[in-house]
Amino acid sequence: MAEKGKRGTQELRLDPRTALLLLLFVTIVVFSHGSPYVEFALIAALLCLFFCCGLFKSGLKFILVFVFLLALQYYIFPVAPKIFADFFSILTFYTRKVFPCIMIGTFIVKTEPMRYLILAMRKWHFPQKLVIPLSVTLRYFPAIREEIVYIRDAMKLRRVTGAAKVEAYIVPLMFSAASTAEELSAAAVTRGIENPAPKTSVIELHFRMRDYICIICGLLFVVAALWLR
Amino acid sequence: MSTTETVTSRTLKGKDLITIGIFSAIYFAINFIFMLMGGIHPILWIMMPGLIALFTGVPYMILASKVQKPGAVLILGLITALIYYVTGMFTVVILITFASACVLAEVVRWAAKYKSFTGNTISFAIFSVGMIGSPLPLWLFKDSFFAQISGQGISADYLSVLNSLANDGMLVVMVLAPVVLGIVGALIAKTLFRKHFAKAGIV
Repeated sequence: MAEKGKRGTQELRLDPRTALLLLLFVTIVVFSHGSPYVEFALIAALLCLFFCCGLFKSGLKFILVFVFLLALQYYIFPVAPKIFADFFSILTFYTRKVFPCIMIGTFIVKTEPMRYLILAMRKWHFPQKLVIPLSVTLRYFPAIREEIVYIRDAMKLRRVTGAAKVEAYIVPLMFSAASTAEELSAAAVTRGIENPAPKTSVIELHFRMRDYICIICGLLFVVAALWLR
Repeated sequence: MSTTETVTSRTLKGKDLITIGIFSAIYFAINFIFMLMGGIHPILWIMMPGLIALFTGVPYMILASKVQKPGAVLILGLITALIYYVTGMFTVVILITFASACVLAEVVRWAAKYKSFTGNTISFAIFSVGMIGSPLPLWLFKDSFFAQISGQGISADYLSVLNSLANDGMLVVMVLAPVVLGIVGALIAKTLFRKHFAKAGIV
């Protein structure tokens, strides 16, 4: 879906399995370390990954957001009005904590088309009954956002308030979800989703040098994080 | 259309899997909103399981009535847990409560033969209780929990309010809220079913 146009440098893509492994490593590192050095090193390493794979724009965006978070925590909250600080300090804290996770998540979304990820999960023998719903879920999030924008626009035409407003959001959302489920499954069944035979794929996955380098780096971070805790 | 299918086969087909995927997305989106709101005030965090139950009743009940087969709730829970795990919001405690709630909810659905409204309501109430694992460490390991989260940039005010809220009374409220509000959520779903969805043939 997002393959063309978005990524000019096709050759610099990681194997989806590497990307998923990195996601796992990052999660482990984030939740086992406490030291800011590991945090900064991890973010720097992820930024390298971003720049190597040509994601300059989002790399820069992440730098800006991270600097903003640090500024909030160390310079703005201590002097900000109390209510404001209370309101946002936990959100800021959590965002900073899971920042590497968000980065690698963005990286995967931007560089790995869904079908590569599905193929990776299949290679790892994830049960089909999990792979299908999971890929549908991940793809449906943007649709929810779109749907909500439409509903809000439609609501502006009338005066809807209070509990009626919740109802006015949830009912159309359910309707569109139900009809999407209907249409999507008609399409998927036509294309043989229920065929019990092992699935084949036009794409072939290969581990390359860069995959090994990334995995080794990731492992080093895990070891460092567990060792420094 | 789906009734004849369910009689003949109890295994999840492509259509069921896609339906589960879509409603999991909606469930997760609502869940996530309240998860984020928990950061605003401690009381919102403690009431989070209840609030989630109130607002996710409709998608859960539609899913339960559209996919009357074993495994639907398990996959819903698994997807939620996987996404949360990746974004780092799931701790061991919530994984345990969430997993056991999913399994129990699935058992209730099976025992109620998937069709009954009461059965689905009970299973939804149980499923909702699974989210209590998020604030539960407050009571389980109170001292070490506060020692751990203080000094992590969380404001002293939030912590002191949290500390004063972590008493036995609140524990009962926290556990019962998802049950009560879950039943309310299911009843809301039923009203909406009658008002909108049944007419359109969705449920």
